[in-house]
Amino acid sequence: MIQLLKKNSIWILAGFVILVLPLVFSSGFAISLMGLMGIMVIFALAYNMLLGQGGMLSFGHAVYFGLAGYFTIHFINLMSEGAIGYFPVSLLPLFGGLVGLFFGVLIGFVSTRRAGTIFALISLGFVEMMTALAFILITFFNGEEGIQADRWVGPEPLGITFGSGIQVYYLIGVWCLIAMIAMYALTKTPFGRMSNAVRDNPERAQFVGYSTQRVRWMAFALSSFFAGLAGALYALHFEHIGYEAAGLELSGEILLATYMGGAGHFLGPIVGAILFTFLKGVLSDLSSVWYLYLGTVFLLTILFAPTGIAGLILRHEPIWKTDVRLLGKMVLPYLGALITLLIATGGIIALIEMINFVADEYSQGSILSIYGIAVETTSFIPWLAFGFIALIGIGLCRLTFPFVTRNWDAIMDTVKERMLR
Amino acid sequence: MNALIFSIFNGTLYGLLLFMISSGLTLIFSMMGVLNLAHSSLFMLGAYFAYSISTVVGFWPALIFAPLIVGVIGALIERYGLRRVHKYGHVAELLFTFGLFYVFEDLVQMVWGKVPLPYKIPESLNFALFTWMGLEYSAYRVFMVLISLGIMVALYWLIARTRVGLIIQGSLTHPHMVAALGHNVPRVFMMTFGFGSALAAVAGVLGGNVLGTEPAMAAQLGPIIFVVIVIGGLGSLGGAVIASLAIGILTNMAISYDISFKTFFVALGVSPDAVGVGQDLIATTSGSIAPILPYLLLVLMLIFRPRGLFGTRDA
Amino acid sequence: MTVALELIGLRKSFGPTEIIRGVDLQIKKGELHAIIGPNGAGKSTLYNLISGMYKVNDGSIILNGNDITNKEPYEINRMGLSRSFQVTNIFPKMSVFENVRNGFLYHSGCKYSFWRFVNRRKDVTERANEILQRIGLEGKHDVPVMLLPYADQRALEIGITIAGGADVILLDEPTSGMSRSETERTVELIRSISNDKTVVVVEHDMGVVFDLAERISVLVYGEIIAADTPENIRCNPNVQEAYLETDSCVQE
Repeated sequence: MIQLLKKNSIWILAGFVILVLPLVFSSGFAISLMGLMGIMVIFALAYNMLLGQGGMLSFGHAVYFGLAGYFTIHFINLMSEGAIGYFPVSLLPLFGGLVGLFFGVLIGFVSTRRAGTIFALISLGFVEMMTALAFILITFFNGEEGIQADRWVGPEPLGITFGSGIQVYYLIGVWCLIAMIAMYALTKTPFGRMSNAVRDNPERAQFVGYSTQRVRWMAFALSSFFAGLAGALYALHFEHIGYEAAGLELSGEILLATYMGGAGHFLGPIVGAILFTFLKGVLSDLSSVWYLYLGTVFLLTILFAPTGIAGLILRHEPIWKTDVRLLGKMVLPYLGALITLLIATGGIIALIEMINFVADEYSQGSILSIYGIAVETTSFIPWLAFGFIALIGIGLCRLTFPFVTRNWDAIMDTVKERMLR
Repeated sequence: MNALIFSIFNGTLYGLLLFMISSGLTLIFSMMGVLNLAHSSLFMLGAYFAYSISTVVGFWPALIFAPLIVGVIGALIERYGLRRVHKYGHVAELLFTFGLFYVFEDLVQMVWGKVPLPYKIPESLNFALFTWMGLEYSAYRVFMVLISLGIMVALYWLIARTRVGLIIQGSLTHPHMVAALGHNVPRVFMMTFGFGSALAAVAGVLGGNVLGTEPAMAAQLGPIIFVVIVIGGLGSLGGAVIASLAIGILTNMAISYDISFKTFFVALGVSPDAVGVGQDLIATTSGSIAPILPYLLLVLMLIFRPRGLFGTRDA
Repeated sequence: MTVALELIGLRKSFGPTEIIRGVDLQIKKGELHAIIGPNGAGKSTLYNLISGMYKVNDGSIILNGNDITNKEPYEINRMGLSRSFQVTNIFPKMSVFENVRNGFLYHSGCKYSFWRFVNRRKDVTERANEILQRIGLEGKHDVPVMLLPYADQRALEIGITIAGGADVILLDEPTSGMSRSETERTVELIRSISNDKTVVVVEHDMGVVFDLAERISVLVYGEIIAADTPENIRCNPNVQEAYLETDSCVQE
């Protein structure tokens, strides 16, 4: 029993965190945001079944997410009208999963016959068709407006109505935990292993008896199942579904979140989804160009940290496995690099915000509040000042970053030396 | 009949613009194996720069300088961005250009604003050149057609008759051999990317004031460009010409003729009095379906013949 | 003696160039057969045709009595033929153990199953470990394969090929780039796997060829100019002219 608990300790911890979070962050806004995080975690993990584990880049995965959402909304509405019998709302995510699976099997069959760039283009084609369809089949998709539903429907077992935000949060939380465990378990199956094998060497996989198309198709279908599961939860969460839930923009967002979190490790999409949802929820209020910052960070990630956040953290694994104290040697260099980076980005962001403000042709007056300081944008002083700060920051970075690299190399040498002993 | 000719004229115009953009994309893709998802952004930048330059010194300098600026931007993207990402593989390159697309869209919105810009046709060309069968043919549009044709001819001459063209032809079908022959491949890549970007920008300069200059223009045109090069065939400039014109003319005619598909669906068995989805189907016209057509063609082509109509490679 | 692998009138062209120009070959069950020939003769192309990587222009390939011409590589593998590659073709991000296990996974019956943990199948683990022992890499069970020295990678290459239990095995230049001692190790390995299997080896190292082979075929310009016992091949004037140029021929 103790063995079982120890082996699964991380899942128990996750469950505990999910349970306890609303007690720490109890505002309505926070609970809603955390619910959305849970949904995006499922979606990102599902997406990574394609990207990180299968090596398939899709620009249109929101199709399965959104379609499941649409079907779920219609399902609930049909229930409230009495057109169909009662089905537990808490099990609707399964229904959404099946919807996702259905379309994933269908579309996946034709998509997975090709790989690489062509696969990506096909996914682009389908997601654009989906959006166009939303405006043609008005009865089902209702174009611009989307469709509403009231999730408070049917009998109320144990008084659970899902009317309140906190109940939806826990519904999402439970499904999130189940989905995480399920998708993790999948990686340990023959299918999961071969999915990785096909990603790395599709040719050799064929020569050991596997049809690469079949493996990819399965990955696509299973991934669509979980995307659909997330989509149903999304519909329940917002009690509304619109064409954006099945469109290119959301597909792009989940791609960004998964990649920046780190597509090479199971934890990556989880981290990416949480961070992305948080930034989107919070940053969009702080700056109207936050999307620009996001895009730039994404580009920088591809250039300098293609393994994502999880990858960066896990690069330290050989170090803490050899000798945790060695990590201490990185503290100072990291700190130095962080501070100089903050200075540089502080200056650059201020400049960008000012450009953005000024480009609006002073429609909101000439004073902009940056970092809490009132800045008079018509004067050249703030421009000079922030420009100066940015330059100084960049200059300092050119000192601190090599310092980080030198220390890192030295530590890695020590680690290798100890490993070979 | 006159409406048909007018429609074909406008369709051809649109198709020529599409060709200018997609030719650069095909060149870049064939040579470097990178599908530049941000290529329509360069088209957009061409239009925006043209607007800004033309408000200061007029349209004609804009026609020269906007493509130059965008060409340099393209070269810089290759030099400092794509080149670094190249070693991580095609997926990373695709992702990078995808990120660029987003960044350009936001940059444009930040600097020029979210509303469509009043990029106008130059006064010197803003008149009806001639009237034929009761329909006016604007001088500017004729000018656009002439310039586009001129560029197309110049491109053909460049590729078929010059040494540079030989290198390009070689790399369209056998990119690895080009390096083996001793050419400075990184420099060739950079110039190709810059040149392709400039071509797209010319289309932007010419088309921005006709099609509208707004931040969404890259997102609207982008997928259509992919349809063009996929249908025309990856690696084939001739295919790109045919596909561009075909799509340009077809979409134009689908919208201007707006044929109803009611008879078609009724024949399939959908009742004329149907409600719900049936009603939606019956209400469709060629105009309302037009947005979906290019993507349908794209998907069908990719599934059944990824090589395209005239392509030489399967990517 | 039944025929394990038979090639009948095989032809393959790339564009206007015909690489394989009418190959007829019969490899008996249980035989250890070597295919030799000058560079560019088409040996790799032949392997690619047999294993399903290329489609034939003409002719047929019969495996254990079944026609496998133009079938997909995975179909051919499932019917009992497995091949190794001249340029090491392994799964770069996995460990040595996982690489070998991949070779056996389909044939174990696991196929595409996603409802069971792969570790639960003890027989799969045992088999993979057994193969590891045979190729001499059991001490490097969890080493990431990209860290392996070259000779170990070549051994792993063979390991993946034999893991699936195929009874016709094609080895493509298994000893290329190896030192004397590594070559000897590999020769022993090949000998051990050929006990109950049909093994075809493409090789350039004549020492290996004459040491191992029961029969040798000589492929020159896409045609088999001779197929015979090693002694006869050594003394065959056509072969000597085209390839061997050795006068160390002992008439028996």
